Amino acid sequence: MMGSSEEKVVAVIMVGGPTKGTRFRPLSFNIPKPLFPLAGQPMVHHPISACKRIPNLAQIYLIGFYEEREFALFVSSISNELKVPVRYLKEEKPHGSAGGLYNFRDLIMEDSPSHIFLLNCDVCCSFPLPDMLEAHRRYGGMGTILVIKVPPESANQFGELVADPVTNELLHYTEKPETFVSDHINCGVYVFTPDVFAAIQGVSTQRKDRANLRRVSSFEALQLPNRSLPTDFVRLDQDILSPLAGKKQLYTYETMDFWEQIKTPGMSLRCSALYLAQFRFTSPHILATGDGIKSATITGDVYIHPSAKVHPTAKIGPNVSISANARIGAGVRLVNCIILDDVEIKENAVVIHAIVGWKSMIGRWSRVQAEGDYNAKLGVTILGESVSVEDEVVVINSIVLPNKTLNLSVQEEIIL
Amino acid sequence: MKALILVGGFGTRLRPLTLSVPKPLVDFANKPMILHQIEALKAIGVTEVVLAINYQPEVMLNFLKDFEEKLGIRITCSQETEPLGTAGPLALARDKLADGSGEPFFVLNSDVISEYPLKEMIEFHKSHGGEASIMVTKVDEPSKYGVVVLEEATGQVERFVEKPKLFVGNKINAGIYLLNPSVLDRIELRPTSIEKEVFPKIAAEKMLYAMVLPGFWMDIGQPRDYITGLRLYLDSLRKKDASKLASGTHIVGNVLVHESAKIGEGCLIGPDVAIGPGCVVEAGVRLSRCTVMRGVRIKKHACISSSIIGWHSTVGQWARVENMTILGEDVHVCDEIYSNGGVVLPHKEIKSSILKPEIVM
Repeated sequence: MMGSSEEKVVAVIMVGGPTKGTRFRPLSFNIPKPLFPLAGQPMVHHPISACKRIPNLAQIYLIGFYEEREFALFVSSISNELKVPVRYLKEEKPHGSAGGLYNFRDLIMEDSPSHIFLLNCDVCCSFPLPDMLEAHRRYGGMGTILVIKVPPESANQFGELVADPVTNELLHYTEKPETFVSDHINCGVYVFTPDVFAAIQGVSTQRKDRANLRRVSSFEALQLPNRSLPTDFVRLDQDILSPLAGKKQLYTYETMDFWEQIKTPGMSLRCSALYLAQFRFTSPHILATGDGIKSATITGDVYIHPSAKVHPTAKIGPNVSISANARIGAGVRLVNCIILDDVEIKENAVVIHAIVGWKSMIGRWSRVQAEGDYNAKLGVTILGESVSVEDEVVVINSIVLPNKTLNLSVQEEIIL
Repeated sequence: MKALILVGGFGTRLRPLTLSVPKPLVDFANKPMILHQIEALKAIGVTEVVLAINYQPEVMLNFLKDFEEKLGIRITCSQETEPLGTAGPLALARDKLADGSGEPFFVLNSDVISEYPLKEMIEFHKSHGGEASIMVTKVDEPSKYGVVVLEEATGQVERFVEKPKLFVGNKINAGIYLLNPSVLDRIELRPTSIEKEVFPKIAAEKMLYAMVLPGFWMDIGQPRDYITGLRLYLDSLRKKDASKLASGTHIVGNVLVHESAKIGEGCLIGPDVAIGPGCVVEAGVRLSRCTVMRGVRIKKHACISSSIIGWHSTVGQWARVENMTILGEDVHVCDEIYSNGGVVLPHKEIKSSILKPEIVM
């Protein structure tokens, strides 16, 4: 079942970069998305912890476009905490999702791993990595993709794929098709053997050859669809998965657990709730408890950082995450929200379906809420860093950028 | 002589522009806002300017190093660790402002654009012999502001009335002061308002005098007033030094074009337009009542009015941009797009039209 003690595994987590993610505003003004906390831990902590369950894990690499200093503290602290080497590698220029992996192949292959996991940081799921590895070994292919079944109407936002129901071989793959292909989609979690580097290089070489042809005829150059892509820019979906489907090289492993993509602040609230629910099974001691006598009343899944202070007359939950040094006053009601570091919530305030940014202040009897539609633009109320909501003010279905003071109630508004 | 410029905080009203640079560095008429004030101070012999800031000092300090050399004036920062209001910063910078010479010092509000008749203000201050002088300006709707009630003949200030419900006067505080060092003894190092706490005391002692500001005045801290302010500024420039304005068959009214900007054939530019360094305005473009900041490219046949186009943005061919559209830094409006009052945050691409005023994050 387990590989021999020589068979090491390396995991690579793609974390993206600053200019690409305007969808995570306004929270991304203050923190790189991968470090935004879900269920009390930075987003990237969840896949990293999952990687720790892989037998013979030798190293975890985070690859992205952020400056190294933005990840320096996190990487050293999590290496210490989980006792596994984690290193951040900055891509100097875009190479595409597969090209990025190829770009760092020497480092990745340093431990001569037999298998390489590739995960996207903004995926929220149960990361069944050991089971996936086992299945991959049975299939004997170059790569195995984690897949999940979704409602057919939403499938075209993702990569749709068709797999053989008996052998689980990947038969067909297409990225964001216009017409319906399949209700099974690519979860953004893969395991490969080192052969994948040869496959990526193959794409590069092919493109280089075509580029050489181009120098022969500039008219031909205008006709080629990929003329604008540099030769070392290789996309995993279009350049590797699609062409290799049906060639007995790629296989699928289906997960029956939850799966979401964390693209917007609204979705981060949803995914925080999913991880809190998962903690209920995997590590219930992390979750808060309380019955309103010595400590606040807790209902449902709630995480409270040990340094946060919550008044015993407050009622918290379900689906609430409270970060470090937050102060929750008497009679406060919190439902489905993320309260970030150093927030002060004064007496009798109510927060429902919202994210309250670092150092913000919510006044007495004020009300911060939204409808709770994670996909709507204003479906979750977001308060940026250092926002003050004065006493008795109501903020509904709104987004407030950092450093604002609200002394009048607002509804359905973006406040710059 | 010394001066203090109250720069203050986050400039949230000028977002999305202030998401890219601190407010004093946002360009106005092709120059960072604060440079207009620093140049006016240098012109009347101020040798040291203190900037009272509480946000992004590193960015400000870098910028200042460049200008210290070019202008030959000393520029320092006084950084508030907590917001000190409109008077507290003076106490914080006390050692820099009171140099023992007994000379009065200027205090300017960084959001204000005016003709800065500072020489006349010095003479006014000497002639009345009081402790403090303030500039006031006449406005149409005084109850939006703090009104200064003064004796017309001498300018002696009787009292301040914040947002009066009934008419008490039409002169408001223009945010330009000339103060004797003794005023510093009246200010404690804590959050203090100069209009609410300090000036009323000086007025009660009949030591505060107000001079009516000749020429234009505008608080350009928000986009609508920024655009009006540009009109007033260019009007004034037409009277003072018309050679700085652009001229030609393709120019209408007052237009300022940086020497490194390029304008194509068949354009019609103006009135009240500022085009910044390195801009490229392609053929057949119509611009009116707008600011085009450094490095912007306006593609062929586009039409822009009453808008602000942020640094390094592009506006596509045949695009129509109007009605208080504000594009932040590095925003790209695709060809043929219509924007009616879109407020677009930095690093965005606009691929579909914005039919009514909307913030695009």
